[in-house]
Amino acid sequence: MSVPQAKVSTVAERWDRERVLALAPDAPAQRTAQSLASGRAWPVTGAAAGAVWGECRGSAAAPYRAVVDLSGPAYRCSCPSRKFPCKHVLALLLLWSEGSVPDDAAGPPDWAASWLDARAARTSRAPSGAPAEPKDPRAAARRAEQRETRVASGLAELDRWLCDQARQGLAASQQAGYGHWDDIAARMVDAQAPGLAERLRALASVPHSGAGWDGRLLEEYALLHLLAAAYRRQAGLPPPLRETVRSRIGFSHRQADVLAGALAGGQPVRDHWQVLARRDLEQDRIRSRRTWLRGRKTSRDALLLSFAAAGQALDDSLTVGADADADLVFYPGAVPHRAAVLARRDGSDGGPPDGGTIAGLLAGYAAALGADPWLDSWLAVVEITPARAPVPAVRDADGDALPLHPGAGDCWPLFALSGGRPVTLAGEWTPRGLWPLTAWDETGRAVPL
Amino acid sequence: MSTWQDLVTASLIGTERAEVPAATVPGLPGPADAAPDIPFPDNPALDSPVPYDPAALLLDRAALLTVARRGGRPAGQAEPLPAAEPDPAPAVSPAAGRRLARMLGGEHPDLLAEWLTAAAARDRRVPAHLLPALLDRARRVSPSDPELRRLSAAAGGSRARWLARLNPDWKFVTTYAGADEDAWRLGGKSQRRGYLTALRARDPAAARELIAQSWETAGPERVMFLSVLASEGLSLADEPLLEAALDERDAGVRGWAAHLLARLPGSALGQRMARRALGCLRIEGGMRGASLIVVPPAGCDTAMRRDGVTSRQGGGLQEMDGRTHLLHEVLSRTPLGTWTGQFGLTAGQVLAVSSGAWAPVLFTGWSRAAMAQRDQEWMTALIDWALAGGPTGTLFGAETLRQLARRVDPARCARETTASRAAEIPPPVRDAISVLRFRYDMLRELEL
Repeated sequence: MSVPQAKVSTVAERWDRERVLALAPDAPAQRTAQSLASGRAWPVTGAAAGAVWGECRGSAAAPYRAVVDLSGPAYRCSCPSRKFPCKHVLALLLLWSEGSVPDDAAGPPDWAASWLDARAARTSRAPSGAPAEPKDPRAAARRAEQRETRVASGLAELDRWLCDQARQGLAASQQAGYGHWDDIAARMVDAQAPGLAERLRALASVPHSGAGWDGRLLEEYALLHLLAAAYRRQAGLPPPLRETVRSRIGFSHRQADVLAGALAGGQPVRDHWQVLARRDLEQDRIRSRRTWLRGRKTSRDALLLSFAAAGQALDDSLTVGADADADLVFYPGAVPHRAAVLARRDGSDGGPPDGGTIAGLLAGYAAALGADPWLDSWLAVVEITPARAPVPAVRDADGDALPLHPGAGDCWPLFALSGGRPVTLAGEWTPRGLWPLTAWDETGRAVPL
Repeated sequence: MSTWQDLVTASLIGTERAEVPAATVPGLPGPADAAPDIPFPDNPALDSPVPYDPAALLLDRAALLTVARRGGRPAGQAEPLPAAEPDPAPAVSPAAGRRLARMLGGEHPDLLAEWLTAAAARDRRVPAHLLPALLDRARRVSPSDPELRRLSAAAGGSRARWLARLNPDWKFVTTYAGADEDAWRLGGKSQRRGYLTALRARDPAAARELIAQSWETAGPERVMFLSVLASEGLSLADEPLLEAALDERDAGVRGWAAHLLARLPGSALGQRMARRALGCLRIEGGMRGASLIVVPPAGCDTAMRRDGVTSRQGGGLQEMDGRTHLLHEVLSRTPLGTWTGQFGLTAGQVLAVSSGAWAPVLFTGWSRAAMAQRDQEWMTALIDWALAGGPTGTLFGAETLRQLARRVDPARCARETTASRAAEIPPPVRDAISVLRFRYDMLRELEL
């Protein structure tokens, strides 16, 4: 039976060595893989269409056969190792990364093709089955009720804490240590409100973030206070806004539920999604990746989140600058832009997006803020020229300018790429400034900054 | 704006001691200025547990203003930058650009100079977005390798000059780009070097003339002069200047002069070395085929010392005895054509003659000669010899192989060992193979 290929065909910017080694489950696997990564041990290797395969001569009579689907990435090896990925897969990828695996126009041999095709068929199908029903609906309801009670009392405590800060004055915060915020954050963890805990922990750096720190701290306290009030009043809120409030507190939906369309408004949206920008963050040894998409037909923005423990590889299946023909399902919310991928078909080379004006960006953000007042990062796609005075900034043809985010560094690659001429830029607009992430060069190629 | 600042000031002091200022948002209805107010008049029963707490009021108003200020933020102003002059040369292929990014990230950074030279020779540019990282690197490593600055400036084109005007850290780019005679007459050492290097690239004879004129008064700058001669356009026309420099007092100048003369095909120094070397090696046929008979020089005379041969031992060559060291010194300065001519064999055939325990010394001596004379035929034969399990099992052999792998044309030589498959490949050979493959791909990508 022939199965339509669902691999992304934006082949294979070759991975660098670090990226391959980061996949290793442990340090010994890294070492053995590196010693195995020599052409001598691999009489047969090849690469084509987003896959790499090879036969490794080992101690056994038959060679081990390893194959990698780079779009997952996903691996398969015939060796008995329980490590995943095994040393053969890692060694094969190392060879490929140093350019020692030849491209094979004939495509993978049968043993590799059969696995790749089966995988392609699996990923193009919708996730099977309905979301798992809770085993005991009554116990689940009881647990949910308990959590609501805990969160409610946690938020009341947080609001008292916030009011205490405002009463005693924020001036003392500059002398306070991390513990000041970590303590209240820990209580939010106990109250099962992890979203709040994360936000509170991040506040510890605000008093040392330079001029204007006092205003920024007040903004954050005020928005948390607003969140506490909104939770108390959630029964009276429109359902999408209620979802936004709850997700910011830390009530999360399982991705499987979202993909299964179990939630209100969860219809899949099919489009050619331009993969415009990517930003990696690390907090508390968890790495997260934010990938921003925009639909060519729907003009809709989407934000994909993925997470990995420190040392593990983040989801790499979408390449910035490419297009992905995909069905996305959006999480519910007042400004629904967080999404998950339901299914993906062939990708294609994207070409630059249409860059807008700064006025358009600000108007779009303002409208979104009207629906979700806590929104503090927003996809920006603008046609601009970078400028350096009075502060590093971007400037559009109308003469409007916005500052670059001070945390983004000196942004020299953006300046170098532009050479004082207009470029299309994608980034995150935040209240502190624009965080530049991707620019398109004069040949229309995406350059991550 | 002032309302927001008033709120910030009050929050710093704290509502225990400060009044809560009124908050107004233009265009928004509501009694935000009446205190105490009820922020959510539609449902007061659900509001704050401490309804009229001034602290809660302050936070309510701050929330209102925060969102209003974020949403109503006007665009600012910025001064436009002058545009860079267009660069007629195209950028390198995307694959070459990706490799350059990897190299700037720490993979084989010692090959950057080769990448840049190859790109400049093909009149291709560094992808603009990589220039900041490249210029930073050139600035940092400069004391050990001023060449990288020159090459970065050359391969960076007009965009690099434009960047150098924005960031004073990269000013060196303009030293190489727009150096005029003022730079030579009035500039510091690096500017003078920049001017001379550019002149040498443009007009080798004029640069030689300028060096000859300035020689008497140059003092310690003479070493710099000779290093500029080394970088480009070395020819027999430079020989008189170099031969005279062999009689200088400064050991650094003498060493450079001898090094350059040994590199120069057809130099008198090369012929003198060839006469010394021919006495050291001969091929004899025996029962089991031909073998090389090696007789190292007996000692180091004044004429040999003048030609740069040192009897001093050191570095990686410590394990050689005095006469072996002299043989190595002579071999590494002898024109390689001497051997192919004398024996009537190709480089590969010479290396195939059995040389027994002398093989490591011959390998390093010939390798150094091949690298200095840029003789690709010999370099290729030597690499092939080493990868086939040749004599690299010594410290200096490993170092020589390391250098050879960085200079040989990777398209001409083997990039895979043919050593016995059962034995583990020695690390220096493995490294050499990985460098050769890297360079092969690198140079191929620059052709795209």
